Amino acid sequence: MQQLSQSLYSGVLYGSVYGLMALGLTLIWGALRMLNLAHGALYVVGAYAAWALINLAGLPMLLSFLIAVGVAALMGLVLQTTLINQVIGKPGFDNASLIATVAAATMIESAMLLMFGPQVKTMPPVFEGNLLIPGIQLSIRYQDLLVIVIAVASLFAMSAFLRGTRYGMAIRAVSQNMDAAKLMGIPAGQVFLIVMVISAALAGLAGVLLSSIFFLSPFSGFLPMIKALIVTIFGGLGSIKGTIWAAYLIGLLEASLQVYLGASIALPGLFLFMIVMLVIRPNGLFGLGEGRRL
Amino acid sequence: MIQEQNLPAAEVAAPQGAARLRWSAGPWARVDWLMVGTALLVAALAPLVLTRVTGGGFVAHLMITFFIWSIITQCWNLIMGVSGIYSFGQVALYAIGGWTTALLAKEFGWSPWLSLWLAPIAATLAALVIGLPTLRLRGVYVVLLTLAFHELLRNFLTNGPQIVTGGGTGMVNVPKLFDQFLGGGMDQAMHYWLALALFTITTLAVWAILHSPIGVAFRALRDSEVYAVSRGVDPFRFKLLLFAFSAFFTGLAGGFMVHYQATASQSVLSFGFVINLLAMIVIGGWGSFWGPIVGTALMIVLSELLRGVDDYRNFMIGLIMALIVIFAPQGLVPLVSKFVGDIMRTLREAE
Repeated sequence: MQQLSQSLYSGVLYGSVYGLMALGLTLIWGALRMLNLAHGALYVVGAYAAWALINLAGLPMLLSFLIAVGVAALMGLVLQTTLINQVIGKPGFDNASLIATVAAATMIESAMLLMFGPQVKTMPPVFEGNLLIPGIQLSIRYQDLLVIVIAVASLFAMSAFLRGTRYGMAIRAVSQNMDAAKLMGIPAGQVFLIVMVISAALAGLAGVLLSSIFFLSPFSGFLPMIKALIVTIFGGLGSIKGTIWAAYLIGLLEASLQVYLGASIALPGLFLFMIVMLVIRPNGLFGLGEGRRL
Repeated sequence: MIQEQNLPAAEVAAPQGAARLRWSAGPWARVDWLMVGTALLVAALAPLVLTRVTGGGFVAHLMITFFIWSIITQCWNLIMGVSGIYSFGQVALYAIGGWTTALLAKEFGWSPWLSLWLAPIAATLAALVIGLPTLRLRGVYVVLLTLAFHELLRNFLTNGPQIVTGGGTGMVNVPKLFDQFLGGGMDQAMHYWLALALFTITTLAVWAILHSPIGVAFRALRDSEVYAVSRGVDPFRFKLLLFAFSAFFTGLAGGFMVHYQATASQSVLSFGFVINLLAMIVIGGWGSFWGPIVGTALMIVLSELLRGVDDYRNFMIGLIMALIVIFAPQGLVPLVSKFVGDIMRTLREAE
């Protein structure tokens, strides 16, 4: 019983954060048709910005979180305007965007290494203490609860934004059919920029939240990015509903593998699951074909 | 000089039945074999000089590194650049080759000369195992699965059984291919010649496959999969073939490097090394024959020049890759050869 509740709780925690990461990846894939391999680097930017603001500038934590997300978003803006805009729409975009994002990730991560050194950093928790649930012997850290609340609220906000606002509709239109969207007068370049900034902000937020639970190093964005990629593909590339469902399913799977079989099994187990999944159902959980996205 | 590919398909693939390809029209006729022979001779004689001058040993080491790394980059370029499979598993295959022969030679007492041959076989088998589920899928999926494979292998070799990890330091004191009895730097010269031989064989094999009907099929698949399929090219079979082919030589390179350095270290699986190799391909010229070879040479020289500012090296590599992508997406080799070609033409017209 305790194991079950523990894995459920960890699963929801992981799932919420993976959802944030994966949503950014899926938005970029939907709009730009690009696999952003710099997503993990944006995660790291957010996390280090928060760490620096709290520990070096001494700002209050929640304010630092907010600014850190802004810093990550700014980084996304810079990435889009200086690099991605130069290769977008040109022949060989697949190759070029892959190399461009790898190059960006290399630059960002080595810059972080130069600025903050290779030592592992830890972020102090916003709230100390645990919430004890006696019946099932489960202790929930307030910090984790905060992470879940922020992540879920952001997911809902994003969902509302994409469904309800003009900008959200423009993003969905571009993802569904770029040519038709352009003919309807939607400025695709502006949509790309918005998507990149949002996605970077989400990655930065995930970095801020997850680094208050795990350690932070210049390369700690890699595994969350890989897991987000698993989530994105599992949920069906470009599908928002699928991504969020998949995030929680993958989170639960990882947590139960950890609780029942041990931490060293979790990662290989996830990958094995992914391979089997891709062989059986290559279009992902919600199986969107090429025609319908978002 | 070997000319760039881009031959009309009809010239490469012999027409069915009737007239076979004329011997003098084959791609080999465009190769200046005298030049190739001279270059090989100079490279083969180099150690005789290098062992006699101070600092020559280091230059010989750099040359060996160049031979081995350019084997990997050529193979990786075949997959990434020529065939358009976004695989990030090449370094993992290199590590598998290395670990196989290191285990057999060190823990099971095999002769390194025997175990070295199992390195490419193990790498090829591993490539088939990854390729079977992966290569039916499209780009993004391949990126994910090969990255996952790399990460799993790194995990296993770092946290796995003691016999593989060597307690986290990797396998040290792996038997060398050449015993020290030769003395006087000849040990390194022998390694040099072996590396040169491996490099030559790989380069010839890559050149041959690029100019064979198989190579044409690969480029057709990359440029328009729909068209290639409709002309009867089975993408899965060709991709798997290429995957196995490039894994074979990569594994061999990995096996050689382990015996040369007498260690199998986890550091080859670090992301810095992967990015380094990728940068070589990108800088030289993604998808061209000379690209990875020239790129590897450039990067090795550049790394030595940047040794003083080692901390900034990775940043510079990222910056260079970004600049190449923006300003010379084809890479430096096609850019320079086009530039030279333009100048030659202008000169000819002026005459």
